[in-house]
Amino acid sequence: MTLKDSSLIEKKENQKGLDGLLQTKIIETKDTTYRIIAKNVSEYHFTVPFEVHDSERVEVGQIFSIKDKGLTFLARVIDIRHDSNYDGNWDTTFTGTQFFDQSQIFNRVIAEPLGCILEGKFKKCKTLPTKFSLVKRAEEYEFSFLQEVMGDIEIGYLRNGSMAVEQIPVSIHSTAIDHHIGIFATTGMGKSNFMKVFAASCMQLAARNESKFGLLIVDPHGEYLKGKGPVKGLMHLKRYSEGLVCYSIDRKNFSDPGVAELSISISEIEAGDLSVLYDWSAAQRDALEAIARVFESCWLERIQKPDGINKMVSEGFNATTMGVISRRIKNLLEKNRYIDPVRSSLPGIISNLQDGRVVLIDIPRMSEQSELFLLSILSRYILEKYKEESSVEQKNCLITIEEAQRVLGTGSNTYRFETIAREGRKFGVGLCAITQQPKLIDKQLLSQINTFVVMGLADRNDRVHLEESARHDLSSLDIEIQTLEKGEAIVSTLGIPFPVPAKIHSYEVYLKKLEKEGRTDERLVSGGRFKPIFD
Amino acid sequence: MKIIHMADSHLGFSSHNRVDKFGRNQFEEMVYKGFEEAIDKIIHLGPDAVVHAGDIFHNVRPRIRTLYVFKRCLEKLSEAGIPIIIISGNHDAPKSSSSTSPFVIFEGLRDVHIAHKAHYERFEVGDHLFHCIPFCLDPKDYLNEFGKIERSGQDVLVLHGLVEALKGKKLRTIGEHEIKDSMLKSDFDYIALGHYHGQVPISNNAWYSGSIEYFNFGESEDKKGILLRDLDRFEAQSISIRPRYMVNCQPIDCVGLSSIEIKEKLMEICSREVIQNMIVRINLKNVSRPAFKNIDYASFNRLKALALHLDLKVAFLDEQENRSEAIDKSNLHEEFAKFLKEEGECERIPRTIKEDAIAYGTGLLKKAVVAQNTEALDATQ
Repeated sequence: MTLKDSSLIEKKENQKGLDGLLQTKIIETKDTTYRIIAKNVSEYHFTVPFEVHDSERVEVGQIFSIKDKGLTFLARVIDIRHDSNYDGNWDTTFTGTQFFDQSQIFNRVIAEPLGCILEGKFKKCKTLPTKFSLVKRAEEYEFSFLQEVMGDIEIGYLRNGSMAVEQIPVSIHSTAIDHHIGIFATTGMGKSNFMKVFAASCMQLAARNESKFGLLIVDPHGEYLKGKGPVKGLMHLKRYSEGLVCYSIDRKNFSDPGVAELSISISEIEAGDLSVLYDWSAAQRDALEAIARVFESCWLERIQKPDGINKMVSEGFNATTMGVISRRIKNLLEKNRYIDPVRSSLPGIISNLQDGRVVLIDIPRMSEQSELFLLSILSRYILEKYKEESSVEQKNCLITIEEAQRVLGTGSNTYRFETIAREGRKFGVGLCAITQQPKLIDKQLLSQINTFVVMGLADRNDRVHLEESARHDLSSLDIEIQTLEKGEAIVSTLGIPFPVPAKIHSYEVYLKKLEKEGRTDERLVSGGRFKPIFD
Repeated sequence: MKIIHMADSHLGFSSHNRVDKFGRNQFEEMVYKGFEEAIDKIIHLGPDAVVHAGDIFHNVRPRIRTLYVFKRCLEKLSEAGIPIIIISGNHDAPKSSSSTSPFVIFEGLRDVHIAHKAHYERFEVGDHLFHCIPFCLDPKDYLNEFGKIERSGQDVLVLHGLVEALKGKKLRTIGEHEIKDSMLKSDFDYIALGHYHGQVPISNNAWYSGSIEYFNFGESEDKKGILLRDLDRFEAQSISIRPRYMVNCQPIDCVGLSSIEIKEKLMEICSREVIQNMIVRINLKNVSRPAFKNIDYASFNRLKALALHLDLKVAFLDEQENRSEAIDKSNLHEEFAKFLKEEGECERIPRTIKEDAIAYGTGLLKKAVVAQNTEALDATQ
């Protein structure tokens, strides 16, 4: 080939390239095939026809896939805007009822890249798709990589916009629980339903002897045990009842063979447990701290008697102070009938937690102070036992705290829970903090929580507070969190590469599913039984 | 109504390799004697009923002598007009088709009520109903059987197993079942528990009576005896049958001690008064092997002959702690499931059948392990 020939070829190629550039790229309006038009590695923009069928509408939270040669980029919609090729508002006629130039009008979809899939493996995006790459709704098979990274505690299905992807269950890793869990939602968004689903999955694992931790739920509303009306409780999950242990203070439940009467032995109460009950003065706190030293045993009984008060007075404490303490202790014992001279449920609670079961403490109609008092005793006892037996092979433990802002709030005097939040992980004890107001939770403590289940928060301050502490960056999900409907959640947890949109199972539906599954296997292995001769 | 609550007699238990002049195991005879003494004491106390909360016999195939002793005691109670309510425990309940319950021999005797058929039975004695849940074949059965109870207003529950509060004190015997906290209801007038050998209250209305005898050194600190319970006044009175005869001595640190010094220590502990007719364990720790080898045991052995049993537990200075975990046969199915999962991860099991293979295989193995264990227990003499 001569030099002339080669320069001619080059010229032709250049001309071809120029033609390509000048050629108009047309966005298809017949189907949902759209194309990337902007913007950078951390934000993709693509266009969507301004008018589509309802079924074709793009929603915040939907996941789209962008195929670009060997790479498949996944991106989640974080915002949708009206847009056009005109600056300002020139796209609309003066009357405001028509477009000025319909061919130049579109909707701009802003999406956040989740990552990209290369040869079936998911990884973070370090590049961006080529301009005008095809964008389409992600299909089920494209989420299959998620199955590989999901954990063992199923809570719902993957959600693509408002649609559940039933082929991809969303599950939290058992190994993440000692890094604490936060459940954040305003009233009515499905916190209780979530907890029951979570507990049911834990019961399933426990009954199969596959659980890696015990779950303690203290229920002040009496709704988890047997539910209310059509709403089912944990006891309705008969198939995995072996994984559940129930203690109650409600006499109505005592006749049930599966419900134990809750008791705390008087000897198991420490003076420090009383700190959550009242706002003690400095003098009263000093006296409480000294009680254990002055009375080696039976302090709770002895401090109620004149001899006991006198003994404390002889130690230099004020008689009035001791009188107040004594009177408050009498009130405490009067109000909390589960405090017993002998009997204690604590060893049973601990051993069941160590065995990986779900332990439900049903305390309906208990006052808030008494509830915190009980929770404080339980938490102390659990942490002590787990510390003592940290060398022994035992399953981890997750302690659930409703309205967690009461004990994990800035300036709360409930140091016990803070200790668990800060140190519990060393001993395999985690907290499951449930709250409607994450903004009231101490920021440092919030940063200790590595699994967030966010189920709709209307208050901006709550969202900002969470975003600033979350393990994953949730700031881009602000709009989605605002628009979450009942039962929808964003799950940010260890082991799953991005915050996963989830549709939490309805407990009643999940219950039916669990009751049905695996029956065939059971039948195969359960035939025949040794029968001794009794007659 | 007053009842005597006793449990865990373990008639037929023999140990310590010492025989009497008739060639009979001395400890076994001691157990019989203790039981007979207890029956005599009961007759003297004159309760309205006796409740035995499991493990009358040490095994499911008691020998003729064991059965004879028991029959003699039943006759004594019958003559005194004292009814007895008995449940089978994990030791004397049959668990396989190859064995028959020893209690069938005693069925139908006057004033003898025995629950031993692995299901709930109730007996009306005096003005109370005695709800009995004997040893059940499957731990899951207990709650189902418990659900069958209908209260009369004057109810006594009789159970054999380990309550959750004492879970840390497992006896680790085969067939040891757990009693759920949910079965310890406060509306029973009394809950008579058996299996744990120490005498302890679990709640105001639930007690372990404990055994009469000391069966192993783990029980050396336990309170022993029987209980007299007044069902109307909710009071329990402990009744001792014999003085404490087991001593588990505090460990002696033998670091730097010569053979003579160790012997002196031993002789110091083993005074005639301390060990005569006693079961004693002496614990020596950090013992040098040469020093231990050179101990002159002549005088020590003479003293040893006075004891019912003297056990020398030695931990040598150079002994390497064996940290390898023993295989827990009861968890073979878990090991198997783990193995299959690992195989599955290496794609040695097709993905389509992996879950089924694990579920089916694990279930089958679990069943086989349970069957083998129960057969083995029944065969024990």
